[in-house]
Amino acid sequence: MDEEFKDYIDIFSQDGVLLKQAPSSFIPFINAIGTIYIWSTETNDGTRPIKRFLEWKPNDVTIDSDVQDQEWAVVNTVQKRSRTLSGNLPADHYNKLRSLKINFEDIKRVAKKNRDLTFFDGSSEPMCTLLFQHGDCFYFIDLLKTYLSVGPSRRDKNIFIVYDADSPEYQELNKTFAALDIKPNDSSFWTMFKNIKEHPYESSLMAFSKVSTYVYRSVEPGNNDILLNDDLQRSLSEIDDNITHSGGDYELVQKPPQLPKRKEFPRCKPLREEQWKAQFTCDGKLEDVESIKTLIFRGGVSPKIREEVWKFLLDYYPWDSTLAEREALVIAKVQEYYDMKLQWKSFTKAQENNFSDFAQRKSLIEKDVNRTDRNLDFYAGDNNQNLQKLNDILMTYVMYNFDLGYVQGMSDLLSPILMLIGNEPDAFWCFVGFMNKLISNFDIDQAGMKDQLGNLFTLLNFVDPFLAKYLETHDCANMFFCFRWVLVWFKRELKQEDVMRFWEVLWTGYPCQNFHLLVAVAILEHERSELMGNDYGFTEILKHINELSCHLDMDLMLNKAEGIFFQIKEADHLTDQIRFIVGLPLIGNHCTDSHELIHFDSPDCLVSSESHPKCSVDRVSISPDEISFDKSIQSNFL
Amino acid sequence: MRSTTKNPLLKVVILGDGGVGKSCLMNRFVSNQFDEHSFHTIGVEFLNKDLDIDGQTYTLQIWDTAGQERFKTLRTPFYRGSDICMLTYAIDDKTSFKNLELWRKEFTYYADLKENNQIPFLVVGNKSDVPREEREVSQLEMETWCNENGITSCIETSAKNASNVQEAFKMAVQHWLRLESRADKNETATNDTVDLSKKYGDNRMSCCVGGSEESSN
Ligand SMILES: Nc1nc2c(ncn2[C@@H]2O[C@H](COP(=O)(O)OP(=O)(O)O)[C@@H](O)[C@H]2O)c(=O)[nH]1
Ligand SMILES: [Mg+2]
Repeated sequence: MDEEFKDYIDIFSQDGVLLKQAPSSFIPFINAIGTIYIWSTETNDGTRPIKRFLEWKPNDVTIDSDVQDQEWAVVNTVQKRSRTLSGNLPADHYNKLRSLKINFEDIKRVAKKNRDLTFFDGSSEPMCTLLFQHGDCFYFIDLLKTYLSVGPSRRDKNIFIVYDADSPEYQELNKTFAALDIKPNDSSFWTMFKNIKEHPYESSLMAFSKVSTYVYRSVEPGNNDILLNDDLQRSLSEIDDNITHSGGDYELVQKPPQLPKRKEFPRCKPLREEQWKAQFTCDGKLEDVESIKTLIFRGGVSPKIREEVWKFLLDYYPWDSTLAEREALVIAKVQEYYDMKLQWKSFTKAQENNFSDFAQRKSLIEKDVNRTDRNLDFYAGDNNQNLQKLNDILMTYVMYNFDLGYVQGMSDLLSPILMLIGNEPDAFWCFVGFMNKLISNFDIDQAGMKDQLGNLFTLLNFVDPFLAKYLETHDCANMFFCFRWVLVWFKRELKQEDVMRFWEVLWTGYPCQNFHLLVAVAILEHERSELMGNDYGFTEILKHINELSCHLDMDLMLNKAEGIFFQIKEADHLTDQIRFIVGLPLIGNHCTDSHELIHFDSPDCLVSSESHPKCSVDRVSISPDEISFDKSIQSNFL
Repeated sequence: MRSTTKNPLLKVVILGDGGVGKSCLMNRFVSNQFDEHSFHTIGVEFLNKDLDIDGQTYTLQIWDTAGQERFKTLRTPFYRGSDICMLTYAIDDKTSFKNLELWRKEFTYYADLKENNQIPFLVVGNKSDVPREEREVSQLEMETWCNENGITSCIETSAKNASNVQEAFKMAVQHWLRLESRADKNETATNDTVDLSKKYGDNRMSCCVGGSEESSN
């Protein structure tokens, strides 16, 4: 084949493409990383029809051994540990099968799933599946679209059908191009397309100016405005579909399904003592728990009654208990606490030395207690009794839950509780209640944290797809930079008084499950212009987010987060995936994948990022290595 | 926020057990402050600082992580692309010294070093200010460990009284420069750059304490 086409033009190449599925002769290359090329036969003489090919070549015949690690190891997308294949492969095999080549003429259907593209000829068996490791196959699809008459399938927007030249769909496509005075295969189209890549903003204005010229001219006859309007609508959507899909560096795509308008939810006054006291029956049982919780959610709790209310919120006191029951409970719980405390207190030095697991925990607790909220009067100074209590409660928790033990972050969760509830046993049991609420944050394998950060991305993608897309194209889709927020529920980000207010609001469980993630979405949305406007990359985003500490307006965040919740809840396109995260009843509709981004329209959504040239057209190769994390720091650091 | 100058940027990772003073070292170096009661690190933080060496300014990007085993998956992705790794222990904490071995392994594994590409390790014994009777690791022990592990640079510091902190970072960069120039030399036949490696070529295994040998360079 190679001999046939001595003269060919490289049109496009992109590195970091993994071969996921292929004909059996390519089995040794399955999971190998390679480069995808588009090239065409030379066209100058015009005697032969142009042929275009898609070709995948393995990189130095290596196999990626830890693709699975990818999602968590996103910080750097370069150079994964790889092992050489040459040793395992018969030499002639290796020589014959240098690359997988597909003639454009054979492609009849392309299916996109997350970052996978699967190519089909007429049959049901796929020709191959390629995984775009760096998540940028939009650009590749755009290119395909310029060479093939492709349209999204009516059934599934992620399947692209290649139309025959005489099919009605193809005629339709051509008509809309004709209306815009551009032809998919003609050079002005190509130039415009290329320009958009290079100067997205200006060129798209240019493209739109063509549209407005069309409108202007056609309005003159003045009779068939409505029809024209429809045509224009279609033309515009064709532009979106065929020319200006996302390329990673900027966006200009279809309108996403709109969320309902956001409502304001101003914060209210804290729950007052009278309101609280009035809720108790004569035997000391709370009457209307739900309305109490609603009040707390709306405004928090007045410091005067906070201690008692927290014992309910943290499941130390059952909500339906009577005063007598609570008194009995406390007696038992105090005893239980001191029993557990005695267990570790009575360890001898020898026992400790022979129990390194325990000794390690003890030493880490000691170190962390000395580094917890020492700027607050309550914990200030040496030999502060409160530090001792902090230490003892954490040590007792180790005995209470030895499987978990002590994990960094727990002292932050305990500190405000102990400040409020000075006595050790009560503070301990409230702490246990808090830990029960977010125990999965401290999983050995961090699975709970991964899940939450994943859910955070999914929510953000639903609420602000453009920002989500931005983060994704800047290696931030794992939401690493929100780790501290989520691990200790914003403890390090808020001032002491705000932490207490924020937590009691969250403990109510209103208005939905995982509300803290919606708060995170609200903050990110609030920072979006800062993040995107400055074209921040991974490190800059991390730095910016870390520096938000103590500069957050808690009331505003809560207000926004609640607004976001109702937007989500009332959205027409709400999926079960989102319902599941926020704890709304599932209705069994199709879940959009978290990586399946919904796109934004309108020129002001264009963000160009000159400093991260990811893709370019015409003989220029794209190497994701060039946009790697490290390099991007080096080229444009703070 | 973006720097207009094009200083070479070096990525420095500070590793070591919790509580040995990694964050304090970073803060002392970057802002010359010491807060005895600063918070323990959650997640990952980094700071930038320019450092002049022989008329050339280098921008150090210093990464500080949480040391607990549990957070391994969080910190290890940050090792990739590091130019310098500071293995840190506290001289009053024998365990933290013993764990240097684990930290070295963890780093080497996840930094994804290319073959023959040596990463400049610098061993830092922090808290040199503690009273003599609280010391659990001697300088000799540190030097011996370094020799056994082929690490050529080590230093004792105190983030508290600022002793040797600047020197430690400077030493790390100088060490990096030596390895760089050696790599350059191996790659290109032409050699019109000053060969810094020669001077150290023969006594690579020697340790230097207090940065005296380095600063004479
Ligand atoms: N005496 C002394 N204490 C230090 C020094 N550096 C840090 N510390 C203390 O050691 C504790 C842990 O420091 P930190 O930087 O948080 O450790 P990290 O966990 O390694 O980041 C803090 O309480 C500091 O006050 C030092 O040079 N001398
Ligand atoms: Mg630290």
